[in-house]
Amino acid sequence: MDKHGFKKILLRHETILFAVLVAEWIFFEVIGRNFGTYDNTCDILRHSCEIGLLALAMTPIILTGGIDLSVASLLGLCAILFGKFWRDAGMPIPLAVACTIGVGALAGGLNATLISWLRLPPLIVTLGTFSLFRGLAEAITRGVDTFTNFPDSFLFLGQDRWLGIPAQAPFFLAAAIFFWLLVHRTTFGRSFRAIGFSPEGARYAGIPVARRVAMVYVLAGIVSAIAAIIYTARLGQAKADAGTGYELFAITAVVLGGTSIFGGVGSIPGTLLGVAAIAVLHSGIAHALLPGEMAGMLTGVLLILALAGSTLPKMISSLRARKAALKIPPQAA
Amino acid sequence: MKLFIQKLTTFLLLASIAGLTGCNKSVGPSSNADGNTASAAKPLTIAFLPKSKGNAYFVSCAKGAQRAADELGDKLIIDGPTDPDPARQNEIVDNWITLGVDVIAASCENKEGISTALRKAEAKGIKVITYDADALPDARSFFVNQATSQGIGYALMDEAARLCDTNGEFAVITGSLTAGNQVAWRNYVEERRAAAYPNMKCDAVEACDDLKDKAQSETTALLSTYPNLKLILSTTSLGVPGAAEAIKQMGKTGVVKNIGLGLPNENKRYVHEGVTQSVILWKTEDLGYLTVYAADALAKGALKPGDKTFKAGALGEFEVQGDNIMLGKPFTFNKDNIDQFDF
Amino acid sequence: MNKYFREFSAAAALGILLLALAIFAPSFFQPQPLLSLATREAPTLVVACGMALVIICRQIDISVGSQFAVCSVCAGLLAAMHWPLALVLATTILIGTTFGAFNGALVAGLGLPSIVVTLATMVTWREGLRWLRQGVWVDLPNGVQWFGLPQMTGQWTLVLVALAILILLALTLKHISIGRFVYAVGSDAEAARLAGIRPRMMTFGVFVFMGALTGLAAMMNTIQSPQVDPNSGTGLELKTIAAVVVGGVAISGGRGTLWGVFTGLLLLACISPALTHLHVEAFWGKAIQGATILLAVVADGVRTRKQRY
Repeated sequence: MDKHGFKKILLRHETILFAVLVAEWIFFEVIGRNFGTYDNTCDILRHSCEIGLLALAMTPIILTGGIDLSVASLLGLCAILFGKFWRDAGMPIPLAVACTIGVGALAGGLNATLISWLRLPPLIVTLGTFSLFRGLAEAITRGVDTFTNFPDSFLFLGQDRWLGIPAQAPFFLAAAIFFWLLVHRTTFGRSFRAIGFSPEGARYAGIPVARRVAMVYVLAGIVSAIAAIIYTARLGQAKADAGTGYELFAITAVVLGGTSIFGGVGSIPGTLLGVAAIAVLHSGIAHALLPGEMAGMLTGVLLILALAGSTLPKMISSLRARKAALKIPPQAA
Repeated sequence: MKLFIQKLTTFLLLASIAGLTGCNKSVGPSSNADGNTASAAKPLTIAFLPKSKGNAYFVSCAKGAQRAADELGDKLIIDGPTDPDPARQNEIVDNWITLGVDVIAASCENKEGISTALRKAEAKGIKVITYDADALPDARSFFVNQATSQGIGYALMDEAARLCDTNGEFAVITGSLTAGNQVAWRNYVEERRAAAYPNMKCDAVEACDDLKDKAQSETTALLSTYPNLKLILSTTSLGVPGAAEAIKQMGKTGVVKNIGLGLPNENKRYVHEGVTQSVILWKTEDLGYLTVYAADALAKGALKPGDKTFKAGALGEFEVQGDNIMLGKPFTFNKDNIDQFDF
Repeated sequence: MNKYFREFSAAAALGILLLALAIFAPSFFQPQPLLSLATREAPTLVVACGMALVIICRQIDISVGSQFAVCSVCAGLLAAMHWPLALVLATTILIGTTFGAFNGALVAGLGLPSIVVTLATMVTWREGLRWLRQGVWVDLPNGVQWFGLPQMTGQWTLVLVALAILILLALTLKHISIGRFVYAVGSDAEAARLAGIRPRMMTFGVFVFMGALTGLAAMMNTIQSPQVDPNSGTGLELKTIAAVVVGGVAISGGRGTLWGVFTGLLLLACISPALTHLHVEAFWGKAIQGATILLAVVADGVRTRKQRY
């Protein structure tokens, strides 16, 4: 059986998702106004940068069979801490950025300690830190404080174009390449999949499971901090409720991209396609002057179809196998 | 290698299909392909941005806005965030910029944040007007002001003081702790209290996250914590009915007064039962109507900086103070007049 | 004692909180506010029971908030059309059951992961409701609130109904076979299958039951006030999952009791009014809630350090 034939490629999850993305694009070109323009493409890129970063960080976590619901809350916390470092502590922007990333790493470290050292279930730990981080952000700002009036040189990062492409695009590209290399080309990536398939088995195979798991959560913390800085630059304002709801968006993109929520299976290109599919959908709905709620509903439908779609081949082949088994004639006595 | 080539071919094939259809020329604001200058006969596209979609207050503003758009023959697009993320309004404005609308009328959740996007819109030739909640003055041409934050805050505090005989304890229920205009109103309430009513004391400020049920449970907790409480003041329209229900269930109707910002329809029942004494708002439909008329006039050049008055269709003349178009003063709905209104 | 460590530690935490309130803020313990609090939380308790069953069965359902909102609005609309309340109740439960069946069919029938399925349905139902209602409240006619009964009777009825459901389910889980099957499927679905239990039917059934309970809870919530807010139910999934987990139900399935869930819910529900009574500023609420969840889980983790790796 030719495993690498065209048919196999065409039926791969990522290819189908890419085809869906193309279909979406063409559809909205036709029914929307000014959809496929360069300006709008840049906008789609700008709007999905932070969520893309969160989704990239979420992929290795889900590969190991875990999950991190706290990334968006950490984005909010890092955003206001960045504002506080810059405004109240008087730090220059680069130092504030470095400190914020440090805080992100520490927060990711909290998740990592609880999950890999104490071996608590990631869903519950990150559910707790989801409330805790957002709560800390609200407590530090007393709910009302916001940080604005950042220098133009900083705002350039989120709002302007550098050599014709949105300024945050190089950062996103760098992050995408980094994660692609990490997941697909290093032994770290292979160990993530192994841990996702079977943590016990991975341990027997000599993989330092606790350290690898800790690594992905700390990485997610750092990425959340970077996303927070880009978000602040884009909006021009840092608030405690920054990034509300982004974690679900990120998980949706990752699962849409073909990563199994149980762990062990997944890819970075798939995640990127998932982010693109959802971002294009939102932008397309807006340009077609359709009600915004449709974007959310269609995302839900798309997610279920994507899941069902990847399960269907397995179901069909198991049904076929069962049928074939029934056809075996009974042995003569 | 063979695998790589196959993958690359598939990718290029699909990408080129997308790319070929992507050769699309931008349609900008009010620019016609046949070179007509934007005449009064061409329908304008006015983009109306509420703070959040699915909020009854903005739904009623939008009704007035639609009426005005129909009268003027303009096309009205209404879109707003459905979730609390602060960046959503910016994304919607960005989409409108690429869509090429003529005017944007926005109620701003984050004053500074949205100004970023609005300035970009103005740079692209789109006119910008704000209503209900302002942006930074350099990001828009005019602000349709239903009542200044100060006016609203003072009106709330004055009404509270009137009902408590300028003496007593009260508590505040706010929507979310982070919403910009609610912060402003709370600050003005406090300012007015400190200046004019020093015998009144604010015991606590609780947030209800814009949920009526949460407002109810917060009020219940407040009523039992502070036995001398005389009044509950809500800066969110979701707070007043929730607080009213709590007061009613605790059996404190009439003992603890209930006021706040709110829509008449949601509060009629409680006002008639005497649980809620007054609800302060303004004519929301008129606000939407005035906003669209102003937006239309701004785009057509009829409304210019330095104008002192502005005429808006059937509603008549409105005063223009600097760059604020004044709707009027906040209106107090109570037992005597609430039945005359339906929104 | 060891077996129920989680439940006891949750109860201990609740006890400490109540003790602190008794010392620093005795105004917390007044009958009418406590009754109002209990009535407000009664629908949440019902949903938490259903969530406990789902989690014991090794699944999860994060769409309960959206289901709750849709059912509440439907109940309100039907009541506003002057349908007899018994019929409204039955229809609301039926609508909830349908949502649950949809989730269950996808999870049990197609074998899709429950977290993603319910994520998708949560977003779809929530956005769909927003689109249709546009935030407009439903005004209920007179006589719907408290089923037309006086307030005190109505409140006690709701609280007792919630407690009755809790007790019935707890007894079923402990003594009736089908209750034990839920634990079996949650512990090890394959072993359960070999033992003659049908794991897919059980999983489907658990989701359907969750939907039915959500419908009931929505009705219980609707009759508490004269208007229906379509945003009710926001955050319900977070609240119930937190209550279930704090109360000792293992997220990996197969373990937990409803008494623990009850304690967990009480603990989390008391935090907000406790903060008000202790004169703590409002913006500490979320942080304290998150810390409580973490502490509850960490306490157990430190004790067992279960072999996961």
